[in-house]
Amino acid sequence: MARVVNSRLRLLLLLVFLAFAVLFVRAAWIQTVRASSLAARAQEQTKTTVTLPAARGTIFDRLGAPLALGEQATTIVADPMQIRDPRHAAAVAAKVLGLDARKLYPLLADRSRGFVYVERKAPPAKASALARRKLAGFDFYPEERRVYPQRTVAAPVLGYAGIDNTGLAGLELQLDKELSGTPGEATVIRDALGRVIDTTNERPARNGHDVFLTLDHTIQANAEQVLRDTVRRWHAKSATAIVVDPRTDAVLAMATEPGYDANTFPQALAKGLEANHAVTDVFEPGSVFKVVTIGAALSEGLVTPETTFTLPYSIRVADRVIHDAEPRPTERMTVAQILQRSSNVGTVTIARNLLGEARLKEWIHRFGFGERTGVGFPGESAGLLPSYWSGSTIGNVPIGQGISVTAIQLASVYAAIANGGVWVQPHLVDHVQGEPRPVLRRRRILSPRVDRQLLAMLKGVVSDQGTAQAAEIPGYTVAGKTGTAQKPGPNGYMPGKYVATFVGMVPARHPRLVVLVSVDEPKGAIFGGVVAAPAFARIASFDLQYLEVPPDLKLPRP
Amino acid sequence: MAAFALLLTGVVALNVAVLRANMAVHRLDEERAQLEARNQALSSQLSAARSAPRIESLARKLGLVPAPASDTSYLDLGRP
Repeated sequence: MARVVNSRLRLLLLLVFLAFAVLFVRAAWIQTVRASSLAARAQEQTKTTVTLPAARGTIFDRLGAPLALGEQATTIVADPMQIRDPRHAAAVAAKVLGLDARKLYPLLADRSRGFVYVERKAPPAKASALARRKLAGFDFYPEERRVYPQRTVAAPVLGYAGIDNTGLAGLELQLDKELSGTPGEATVIRDALGRVIDTTNERPARNGHDVFLTLDHTIQANAEQVLRDTVRRWHAKSATAIVVDPRTDAVLAMATEPGYDANTFPQALAKGLEANHAVTDVFEPGSVFKVVTIGAALSEGLVTPETTFTLPYSIRVADRVIHDAEPRPTERMTVAQILQRSSNVGTVTIARNLLGEARLKEWIHRFGFGERTGVGFPGESAGLLPSYWSGSTIGNVPIGQGISVTAIQLASVYAAIANGGVWVQPHLVDHVQGEPRPVLRRRRILSPRVDRQLLAMLKGVVSDQGTAQAAEIPGYTVAGKTGTAQKPGPNGYMPGKYVATFVGMVPARHPRLVVLVSVDEPKGAIFGGVVAAPAFARIASFDLQYLEVPPDLKLPRP
Repeated sequence: MAAFALLLTGVVALNVAVLRANMAVHRLDEERAQLEARNQALSSQLSAARSAPRIESLARKLGLVPAPASDTSYLDLGRP
């Protein structure tokens, strides 16, 4: 009996031993022969390649205030094939994200697709709230959203970066290469719980470069407010203002009204508000262009500020009659008075009888008209010069009609006059992070002597004898020129439609600012001296105080 | 045998330490990204708060008006 029991025990032990032997051989087989292939399969299941997003560069104003920057947002996507109840999922997601469930439901119910966007670049707080609901089939990943925190300030100049963070308009487009970074890549290995346990083959992202503008957000905002008030006051179609430091031709402000919130660019585009009129639009400048004719005649030695002419109220040039703005008897005027009182007859007399067509054309080019300034904005216009000069063209162009210019061209010409006769390339960008400052084009267009003469004459414009008394600023000498130009249409000049302009330099003795204001189709008054000059005075007064430019006239008693 | 077991234990401990360090690095990377995002959001808020239209609007609500240039007086400290 004992022998039988012993043999059964031995058999049982043998069976147990054999079972463990099989398990042991199997384990050894897996960990030796199959080890590498199983390890590779495990890595495939746990390893993913991820893109490391690159941040877009920030656009700063001259004082370091960010005007365009990226903010963290969360993009929410879904896999409809994993969503069992798309109606419920759409209702929950719509409620949390503030979307329309009726538009969301068809996307989530479409089982033919494995990927749909629920919302691109949603606010992180809302995305987190949705993530906490743990809806099956939903995934979340961070994306950068471009924001313009100062909203309306410099919106047409900044432009817009679209949903994919590429520049679509304005400086965002012009500087897209500098602002855009290069995404990186990494291979990430996760454990069974999805936690990252290793990162390999990492190529880091290169963030975009920051850009520093010459704009000052305070000067810009003030100019925009003044334009808003001016457009409202004169029921104008639009208005433009440019503020420039003539010593460097750095653009401190470039304003357009009506404006818009840069964060709502698509809506502004739909309404046609997105254009930066100061650079892309042309207009006939009118009398502000007379500095070119007079400056040319002075430079050629044909006249001095004291040269006198006997001028009737009107003259005939080919088939046209040119007359002054205000009826008057025939009188003698000096060149200084011709500019001060903006005499069309006087200017055309100098151009036709002394300067001549050939020299006037030469000087128009010398002043930079007919070519882009290179201010660094997409779509900059070169202006329009007459391609053919008829007999009457010499009666138009010298007084700024029959020729089209941009506001930035005009501002840069007056900046040259304010800068001792040296034209410097106007610019919006001071520098790009990590890159050398751009080299600006410079050229002398007027001799220092002629420039001083011109500046002195332009001071006379801003006086009770001139056309721009409304441009006076207490405590400061001001020099400038008014312009009131008819607007051309398909059938000649449009009755009742004018562009009123004033360009001023202050303080006139050593100008620190050049301010151009141009108002399109004002109603009730049309003259530059009435519509644009007061806006200049408001903008310049603020800027002088803000920049702490001391008065150059006798100080008032406290 | 004991030495072999000790060696194996050491290797396992080393691997576990490396894994823990990798996970810590990843956590720190995520924290850095969150801090950078927070920094950007604060920069944006600061810029919006500093914008002149906003300040002017708040000032007007408080009853303040822009000071006219003619109301500003200057003192010449150049002469005694």
